[in-house]
Amino acid sequence: MNFWETVTGSDLTKEWKAFEARVEALPADYREAWEQIKVSVFPHSDFTGRNLTPILDGVLGLLEETAADGLSIHEVLGDDIDGFCAALTGEEGARSYRDRWREQLNRNVAKKLGQLGG
Amino acid sequence: MDDLTEMLKGTLEGCVLEIIGSEEAYGYAITRRLNELGFADVTEGTIYTILVRLEKNGLVQATKRPSRQGPPRKFYALNEAGREELAKFWAKWEYLSSRIDNLKESGR
Repeated sequence: MNFWETVTGSDLTKEWKAFEARVEALPADYREAWEQIKVSVFPHSDFTGRNLTPILDGVLGLLEETAADGLSIHEVLGDDIDGFCAALTGEEGARSYRDRWREQLNRNVAKKLGQLGG
Repeated sequence: MDDLTEMLKGTLEGCVLEIIGSEEAYGYAITRRLNELGFADVTEGTIYTILVRLEKNGLVQATKRPSRQGPPRKFYALNEAGREELAKFWAKWEYLSSRIDNLKESGR
């Protein structure tokens, strides 16, 4: 990754385009699930989304393998796509922006209380 | 048997270790094996997240192999740490199941 890519995120745009091209090749029910997976994984993105690309790359690999096996998306993920995504982001240790806000808030409150001489 | 999922959750990782312990396997094969054993609700997505965890914890060796149809598949085998983890799993399982059996017997 060169400086220009780091600053503009153009490498990510490229990666995302490549993802979408792979998704195009999947059956319709898989594409539907992919949209849902993106929505439930997105809150775990860091500022650029760079932490999500390896996770999504792995998932896309799973979808490609199982589609080639002729499985329906329901056989692959069951009813609980959100649960699947929670397990994914949990395993990868991807923290959500909410975690960071919470930490920031806690820190600020602790600082304020410290200043009050508690 | 329905609603096994919750009870199975804590032990599924050990089951996956056992399956790949006897023979290198890929996600779909592991899922099918568990389905054949009677765990019908286990999906490939569940197994995938377990495999991601095992790989991250350094318990398995993953190898990409070309496949006849479609993209290459990732095959998983146990490494030394994985074999140790599997032995620990069975020790814990022995402990847990014998305690629960005791409880059941003493209640009769």
